[in-house]
Amino acid sequence: MTPMSRVVCLSGVDLLADYLEGQLSPEVNASLEQHVLGCERCQAFVASYQATPAILRNATEAVLPEDLRVSLGNWVRKWGSGD
Amino acid sequence: MTVANPSRQRVPDPSDEILAARAGAGDESAFAMLVERYQQRVYRLACRLTSETDAPDILQETFLQAFRHVASFRGDARFGTWLYRIATNASLMQRRTRARRPAEPLDAFLPRFDRDGRHASTPEELMVAGGAAALDRALDRATLAAKAREGLTRLPDHYRDAFVLRDLEDMPTADVAEVLGIEPAAVRQRVHRARLMLRGFLQHAAARGRSTGELK
Repeated sequence: MTPMSRVVCLSGVDLLADYLEGQLSPEVNASLEQHVLGCERCQAFVASYQATPAILRNATEAVLPEDLRVSLGNWVRKWGSGD
Repeated sequence: MTVANPSRQRVPDPSDEILAARAGAGDESAFAMLVERYQQRVYRLACRLTSETDAPDILQETFLQAFRHVASFRGDARFGTWLYRIATNASLMQRRTRARRPAEPLDAFLPRFDRDGRHASTPEELMVAGGAAALDRALDRATLAAKAREGLTRLPDHYRDAFVLRDLEDMPTADVAEVLGIEPAAVRQRVHRARLMLRGFLQHAAARGRSTGELK
């Protein structure tokens, strides 16, 4: 996107990842922010886009089972003893 | 005035890199400490990149490879990044050995736009997956966990790998690029596509949860 071109929802979505990582030029950054400020749909979209990683992170948390922790400890001792 | 008693000050834990150097010199207890530090994270990574069924094998393979090669760890990268690269490769190898049924792609859940490039959905529709609280109201915890796993499984593998490392394991983009052997811009692009697909997929799941029998 050129700095002067107008951001619409479609082009704004394409810029989101780079925006969140501070990779956009100041001009494009300002154009995107200006669009989102005036667009209720983009505000809703950005909120749900930003919330997605945390939702997935929490929902896919996995705790190492105790029996596997014990087995791993045994394997490590075995490797250390050269078996 | 309080004077700290040096004898009671806690000795800081040795860094990963110091432990790796000791392990590389043959100190087994140092390697055991690294295992203790990272076993939970490696297990979780393996679950997210593959499945709970495959994760035990990946966990063992990761630490076996680390044990064999820790002497060659030079500290050019952080130890965690180095270990994550081994774990990721072990996960990808494990995935290749599984004959996967082709998963139904998530392309249908990408955002839709009208002919003027505006969002086709209403703000209310776009906010359905607006956060854990909103989803919590629409789906019970077990259903959300199952949907999350399904969503990861249905992502194209290269999107899944980048998304898991960057967004779920919270690695910096540069480190993900190093682990996957791609450019940081490619990481951002893959993560972005994964977020778009998963956002839409969760939105769809939440909407269905509200309108069908998956309500709490």
